Amino acid sequence: MIMIEALRGLTYYKGVPLWRHALVLQWALQIISGVIVVVLVATFFTNITNTIEDREIPHGFSFLSREYQTPIGQHFLPYESSDSFLYAFGVAATNTIIVSIVGVILATALGIVVGVARISGNWLVSKTSLIYIEVFRNVPLLVQLFFWFYVVLALPPVRQGYVIADKIYINNAGLSLPWPSPSSWDAAWVWLAVALASIIAAMVLYRALTQREALTGRSSYPLVSGSVTAIAIAVAGWLFVSTAFGDAPFGISDPAPQGTFGRIAGGFTISGGLMALLAGLVIYTSSFIAEIVRAGIQSVGRGQTEAARSLGLAPMAALRHVTFPQALRVIIPPLISQFLNLTKNSSLAGAIGYSDLANVAKTMTQTAPAVSIYVLLAAAYLAMSLTYSLIGNIYNRSIRLVGN
Amino acid sequence: MASATDTPPGVVLPPPITERGGVGWAYANLFSNWYNTVLTFIYAALLGVALWFGLSWIVLEADWKVIATLGGRLIIGQYNTEFACPGQNCFWRPQASLLLVSVLLGMAWAVSGDKAAKRIAIGVAAITVAFAFLPYSMDQMGLDVRLLLAANVPAVAAGWVLARRTPLGTVRWIVMLGVLFFLVILVLIGGVPGVPGLQPVSTIYWGGLMLNLLLAVTGITLSLPIGIALALGRRSSLPLVKLLCVVFIEVMRGMPLITLLFMSQVLVPLAFPQDFSTNSLFRAGIILTLFSSAYMAENIRGGLQALHPGQVEAARALGLAGWQTTVLISLPQAIRNVIPAIVGQFISLFKDTLLVYIIGMLDVVEFSRAFIQGNAEYLASARELFLFLALVFWIFTYTMSYVSRRVEVHLRVGQR
Repeated sequence: MIMIEALRGLTYYKGVPLWRHALVLQWALQIISGVIVVVLVATFFTNITNTIEDREIPHGFSFLSREYQTPIGQHFLPYESSDSFLYAFGVAATNTIIVSIVGVILATALGIVVGVARISGNWLVSKTSLIYIEVFRNVPLLVQLFFWFYVVLALPPVRQGYVIADKIYINNAGLSLPWPSPSSWDAAWVWLAVALASIIAAMVLYRALTQREALTGRSSYPLVSGSVTAIAIAVAGWLFVSTAFGDAPFGISDPAPQGTFGRIAGGFTISGGLMALLAGLVIYTSSFIAEIVRAGIQSVGRGQTEAARSLGLAPMAALRHVTFPQALRVIIPPLISQFLNLTKNSSLAGAIGYSDLANVAKTMTQTAPAVSIYVLLAAAYLAMSLTYSLIGNIYNRSIRLVGN
Repeated sequence: MASATDTPPGVVLPPPITERGGVGWAYANLFSNWYNTVLTFIYAALLGVALWFGLSWIVLEADWKVIATLGGRLIIGQYNTEFACPGQNCFWRPQASLLLVSVLLGMAWAVSGDKAAKRIAIGVAAITVAFAFLPYSMDQMGLDVRLLLAANVPAVAAGWVLARRTPLGTVRWIVMLGVLFFLVILVLIGGVPGVPGLQPVSTIYWGGLMLNLLLAVTGITLSLPIGIALALGRRSSLPLVKLLCVVFIEVMRGMPLITLLFMSQVLVPLAFPQDFSTNSLFRAGIILTLFSSAYMAENIRGGLQALHPGQVEAARALGLAGWQTTVLISLPQAIRNVIPAIVGQFISLFKDTLLVYIIGMLDVVEFSRAFIQGNAEYLASARELFLFLALVFWIFTYTMSYVSRRVEVHLRVGQR
C-alpha cells in the first residue's frame, strides 16, 4: 500500500523538474564521478595484474626475506650484502631519515639567521640576505647538487687532502671528524640514561622557575640554573660510571690515515656525496625558510614591538618574548611543508651517489618485483609525510591563540 | 627674550650633514648604532674576501671552454644529431619555433603597455642577436643559423607592428595565437611524416633547454585549470567528490616527483597498451602536470578560504546561480590574491622539469652531466658548466617572478 502511495506521489510531483533539481543533480554528479574513478582504477589494476600474469613477471612480497646481495654506499646502520631485502630497505630508509633530520635542523638554523638578517636595519646585511635568497631559491636544486658534487670531486685526493690540527681531514673522499666512541656499551648506555635524566630534570626545573618568576616577579635565572643542574648531574654520572665500570663511558676516536693508500680510518667520515647532498639541500631549503621567517616576523604588527619596548623590555627580550611567539603562528605551517619538501627532495641524492631510499629502491627493482617495491616506497614516503604533518599539527595546536 | 639661535624667523636651515645625502644615508643604514657598525665592517670584510676569491676564480682560474664546446647542444640536446634527423639539418626547426615566440613577445609588448613586456621582448631579441655574432668559425656555426638567430629582431618588430596596425592587437587574440603557435611549434619540432624537410624526429631525441621549456609551458597551461577544478572539488559539499579530490591531492603531494616519474615508467607500460605507453615525453608531461596541479589546487584553495564569505553571500543575494558565483565572483578574486603562490608554483614546475632525467630524457642538465661523464677531459670544467646552467635557470625563474610582481602591481593587489 505504501509503495503505491509513493508512486502516486511521484506521478503528481509538481516541484522543480528532476533534471534541474539540486539534490538529484548533486547525487548524479557524485555517482557519475565515483563510477568513472572506480572504472579507471579497476581497469588500471586489472591491466597490471593481467600483464604481470601474461608476461610471468614476478610479483608478491616473498622477496623481502631473500638476501639483497648488493652493496649500499654509505649506511648508518650496520649492513652486509647477505642481509635481507627488508633490512636493506630499512637501512636505506634510515639514510633518508638521517639526511632529512640533519638537513631540517641545519636549514632551519641557517634560514632563521638569513631571514632575521633580511629585516635588519643594516642595509648591507639586509641586501646580502636578499641576494642569498634570490640566488639559491631560483636555481633548481639538481643544478646546485651537481655543482656541489663537482666542487667536492675537485678537492684534492686522500693523500694530498687538507688536514686541520691533525684531527680533521678534508679530501675528495669526504670530511673526517673526531667522534665519540663508547669504550664499553654497558657503561655508555648507563651514562646516556643519566644524561637523558639530567636533561629532563633541567627542563622541569626551568619550567618551575619560570612559573615562579611569572607569579612573583623575582628572577631566579631559570636558564642558568637549568643548564648548571643538567651539567652537574651529567658530570656526576660520568664520574660515577667511570669508577663503577673502571673506564670512561666514551672515548674520542680520531681519524687517521692508514695503510699504503692513506685511507682515513677511525672517527666519523661524512662521504663526499653526503656532504654535497647536505650542502645543496640545506642551502636551497634555507632560502625558502628565510622568506617564511621574514614574512612571519613582518606579519606581527609594529605596535607589538613598540608596546614591548615601551614596557621596558630590551630589544632581544622583546623579540624573544613578544614578537617571535606571535610570528611562530604564521611561520609553523609553511615551515612544516618546507621540512616535507626537504625530505622529498633528498630523493635526488641518487643523482650524486648517495644511497637514499629512492635510489636503493630503484636499484632493487632490478632484482625484485618492481610493483611491490613501489608499493613499499610509496608507503614509506607517505608515512614520512604524515609524520611531519602530524608533528606540525600538534605543535600548531599548542601555539594557537587561546579562545580561537 | 633672545632666541637660542641667531637664525631669523622664517628661514629654514638645511638639515645637518649627518641627516642628508650619502652621509645621512650611511649613518641611518650602516652605522646607526655600535653593533650595526660592527656588523657593517664584518660583512664588508667577508663580502670583500668572497668577491675577491670568486672573481679571481671566475676570471683567472675557471676554464669556460666547455660551454663553447657544447654550444647549441645545450639548447636542443641530441635533436640535430645523425640518428635523430638522418641526412638533414634540423637545427632550423627549433630556431623557427623561437621566431614564433619572438612574434608573440613583440605583440605582448605592443599590447600590455607595461615595461616588463617591453624589457623581455627587447632582452630576447638582444640575446639572440648577440649569439648570432659569436666568434665561431663558419663551419661550426653556419650562416643560416646566424641569420635565423638575427631574424628574432625583425620577428619582435613584426609582432609589434601586427599588434598595433591590425585588429589582432588584443589580449584575447594573443592568447589564441599563443595556443596556435604552441601547436605549430610541436608540429615543427615533431615533424610530419611524408613532408620533405619536416621528417619526423622521435621524442626520445628532444632534449636540452628546449625540452625543459616545452614541458614547463605544457605543464603550466594545463595545471592551472586542473588545479582550479581540484580546489573546487576539495571545497565541494558533495562528500564523494571531496574525498576523491583530497585523496588525489594528498597522494600527489606526499610523494617525491622522481618516485612518481619512475613509477610511471614501470607501471604505465604494464597498465596501458604498448604503443600508447612507450612515449616517455608524453608520460613525463602528464606526471609533471598532475603533480603540479595538486600543489596548484592547494594554493587556490588557500585563496578561496581567505575570501570573505560576504562576497559569496552578496552574489547569491543578487540572484547569481552557484556556478556563476564561483566563476564570476569567487575564483577571480581568489586567484588574484594568490598570484605570488601560483607563479611560485610555475617556477617550481619549471625547476622540476629537470627531474625527467630519471626516465632517461636528456634535458639540459642531464645532457651536460652525461657529456661530462663521457668526456673525461672536461671533468675539471664541470663546476663551470653547472655554474653557467645555474645562471641560465636563474634568468628564466627571475624573469617569471619579475612578471608576477608587475602583474600584481597592475592588478593593485593589496590596495583594495
